[in-house]
Amino acid sequence: MQNAINQLLDSANKVILGKPRQVRLALCCLLARGHLLIEDIPGVGKTTLAHTLAKLLGLNYQRIQFTSDILPADIIGASVFDAKNHEFKFHPGPVFNQMVLADEINRATPKAQSALLEAMEEHQVTVEGKTYPLPQPFFVIATQNPSHQIGTFPLPESQLDRFLMRIELGYPDHQAERQLLIGQSRHSLCESLPVKLPPAQLQRIQQAVNEVHVSSALLDYCQGIINFTRDSSEYHCGLSPRAGLALLTAAKAWAFMDQRDAVIPEDLQAVLAAVAGHRLRAGNTQSEAIVAPILANVAVH
Amino acid sequence: MIMKPELDKNILIFLLSAIGLIVFPHIYHIPIAIFSFFCLLLSWRFIGVWQKKWLPGKLIIFLLFVCGIALLYSRHQGLFGRDAGTNLFITALGLKLLEIKKERDLYLISYLAFIVAASQFLYEQSILMAAYILLVCCVLLAMLVSINSYKMQIFAAFKTSVIIIVQALPIAVALFILFPRIEAPKWLLFNEQRQARTGLSDSMEPGSISDLRLSDELVFRVKFAGAIPPQRQRYWRGPVLSYTDGKHWTQANFQKPLVKPVVTGASYQYTLLMEPQDKNWVFALDMPKEFSAPLTLNAGYQLITSESPDKRAEYKVTSYAGYNTGSINRSEYQTATQLPGEPSDKIKQLVGQLHGFDSGPDNFINQLLKHFRVEDFHYTLTPPMMEENPIESFLFKTRYGFCSHYASAFVYLMRVAHIPARVVTGYQGGELNKVGDFLEIRQADAHAWAEVWLEKRGWVRVDPTAAIAPERIEREINIDRQTAYSIVAANNYLLRPAYNWLKQARQLWSNVDYNWQRWVINYDNKSQSNFLSSFGINDIKTMIYWMIAVIASITAVLCWFLLYQKPKSTDKVLLIYNRFCKKLAKHGLLRGAGEGVKDFAERVKIKLPEQATGIDQITAVFIKLRYERVATGEDLQQLKTLVGLFRI
Repeated sequence: MQNAINQLLDSANKVILGKPRQVRLALCCLLARGHLLIEDIPGVGKTTLAHTLAKLLGLNYQRIQFTSDILPADIIGASVFDAKNHEFKFHPGPVFNQMVLADEINRATPKAQSALLEAMEEHQVTVEGKTYPLPQPFFVIATQNPSHQIGTFPLPESQLDRFLMRIELGYPDHQAERQLLIGQSRHSLCESLPVKLPPAQLQRIQQAVNEVHVSSALLDYCQGIINFTRDSSEYHCGLSPRAGLALLTAAKAWAFMDQRDAVIPEDLQAVLAAVAGHRLRAGNTQSEAIVAPILANVAVH
Repeated sequence: MIMKPELDKNILIFLLSAIGLIVFPHIYHIPIAIFSFFCLLLSWRFIGVWQKKWLPGKLIIFLLFVCGIALLYSRHQGLFGRDAGTNLFITALGLKLLEIKKERDLYLISYLAFIVAASQFLYEQSILMAAYILLVCCVLLAMLVSINSYKMQIFAAFKTSVIIIVQALPIAVALFILFPRIEAPKWLLFNEQRQARTGLSDSMEPGSISDLRLSDELVFRVKFAGAIPPQRQRYWRGPVLSYTDGKHWTQANFQKPLVKPVVTGASYQYTLLMEPQDKNWVFALDMPKEFSAPLTLNAGYQLITSESPDKRAEYKVTSYAGYNTGSINRSEYQTATQLPGEPSDKIKQLVGQLHGFDSGPDNFINQLLKHFRVEDFHYTLTPPMMEENPIESFLFKTRYGFCSHYASAFVYLMRVAHIPARVVTGYQGGELNKVGDFLEIRQADAHAWAEVWLEKRGWVRVDPTAAIAPERIEREINIDRQTAYSIVAANNYLLRPAYNWLKQARQLWSNVDYNWQRWVINYDNKSQSNFLSSFGINDIKTMIYWMIAVIASITAVLCWFLLYQKPKSTDKVLLIYNRFCKKLAKHGLLRGAGEGVKDFAERVKIKLPEQATGIDQITAVFIKLRYERVATGEDLQQLKTLVGLFRI
């Protein structure tokens, strides 16, 4: 299984140049059954990353472009009158896909945003009293522009919490950018990608991630981190219990990807910025800087 | 502090019980009326815990207050002095109990209770009382802890209060040693009531000592500087009784210039520690020669102190076993041969038979002692009553008696033969406390013996009891005491171990008490300055500087201890890994607080590439032991070995 993971990462890194860590975190988020939020300025490869992952995982993929006039029905679907059968028929929206890319989610109105976010949480959609389950596995990769840009509706903290991780891509470094400029178009590269990890195997991996061992010493460290965020004056409010669970789940996936069956403190530290950054300070994109005091001060047990 | 709308019932019960315990020992010291008044108030409050509406209103409290003041005034006519002050505090405490409304009142009451607890020491300073006061203070502290606790937990509260007391102990000891001592002004004590204490009486009627004889009460202790005199020489001299009316023996009223006895023989240096008593007598070993003020020697060669005898007091005396008191004057001779009337024919006949009125007094003394020994005389603690002519009935009829009977009969017969004689009372023997190496003399050791004046030799001690019951005088085991407790009569073999054990326990306790008295109670301003000058602290200014320095350093140590007490890691795996970290730290490779072991290992390997294998192995085993699912004792052993072998 680890072999497949490594091949997948290799392939992805050929498309997303110079961002191995972000790619690894994105995959880790999916293995931990979490939804991913990518926050950065337009044009740094957010969409490409989502597209690449969907291709490599062999998931059916749909992109929803969020705009300020998008309606909930445009996301989850609507009932349309069928004149032939004289009845209303539900036409599923783009959310009924295994991987949904919610592009520029903060351009939509809160009403439209919450339609998607409900689906993410419940893994089902209810329209006119009828409940429709979403396909399995179900991932949402949302991208958003930094909230200081014009025409954005920043996601509230409670909804940010639905995303297991938030990552930032940033500009590529000099060498990667040069390769990007002389290479093929990313789009055609994506289209030609083979499936490296079919959904059945993905589900097995997700199962295995669940069983990664967490020792009491590690729980001490995890609680040390949570308590530090609650007691420290650095943060407006500390991590919630749900955030603690998210941190542990992400660390398990990270340990699994590192071919270990037990979580060590380094795993927690690796995923901490991505998991805790948007929960501690929503408006700030500098996740690494946000969690730096935690890494420096909380003693490893 | 948690504000409670209503005071907790449990807290109230706790407080009231603590206060009951604190005031209880005062039952011996304060007038029964005031004690009853306090008990009434306390029980009223106790009932009020359950029946709120029965608590008195403002008017009744005022009336009770007036009652209390009246009661106090009727007893003491004022508020000054130890007794009045103590009673005032107790009454105030009782009255305050009835108006507990807020938490503030609870604090006020606890502080009052602490004062009342401390006032116990104005009456009694024994080690038992100190322990008791410490105990009730602990209860009171536990109550204060409970008020400030989120939840009432008696055991935890007691634990906290014990910790508080133990932490306060070093400061208390420093204050005890270094705090300047001031003599209590006399007005504080002037109106205290004298308490009657048991002791030797200044008159004797054969039988009057019998109740003393059974009492186990301690009279005094003696610590010898050198050897301890043998049992048969340990006569502790008390009042001399010369005048008799045939039944009573009393001290004669004659003034006589003291003739200093000429002393010879072995000398004994010792320290007497007198227990509180009624009379200002000090019982010295026959014959006291060197002693210091406030002691004086009276005409009967008995030591008298001019200090108040109701406190424990310490005296240094030197006595000599051999002595000659020299001649006597006419009035003394008359007193020493005085008879209540003409002796009866029977007595004259006995004296004539033993003495013949022509041989020397020595001969008569021996004949008489022999008579007691050979004839059918018995030593007993329960003699029959002899109301009329006690001496004659004793000599010819009953022939059962103890020391006073023998001494008085002996002296009487001497006087009939015109030999000056008198009765001396005091104590004889004493039990050696093997733990503290001092003698304990108890009321049961009370004794009476005779003194005969002989030409050229002066007053000579003759103990007729020794003739009839030598074991009373010579044996270390006090036969009187054993008879009194019917130990001799009961099965000897079965009870002896238990008796010995009891005796040892008592000696141990007595030693503790003795040292408490010597080092704690007797630590007054004089012994304080003596003690401190041996450390070079001579004036009060240096003393205060020392006190402040010592207390500040104790407080600093306690603060440091409380603030920087880190829970020590007891995890074996961590302890071993920390050894590994220490080895690296010597080379400047320190692990950061938030650094995982794997990251640390990577960082160290760059600095120490040749140690990479060892570092990797240790890190892997540590991770296995600490974070993985299955780890065995072998892994721990392996980690131990790897860390042990790790060298840089």
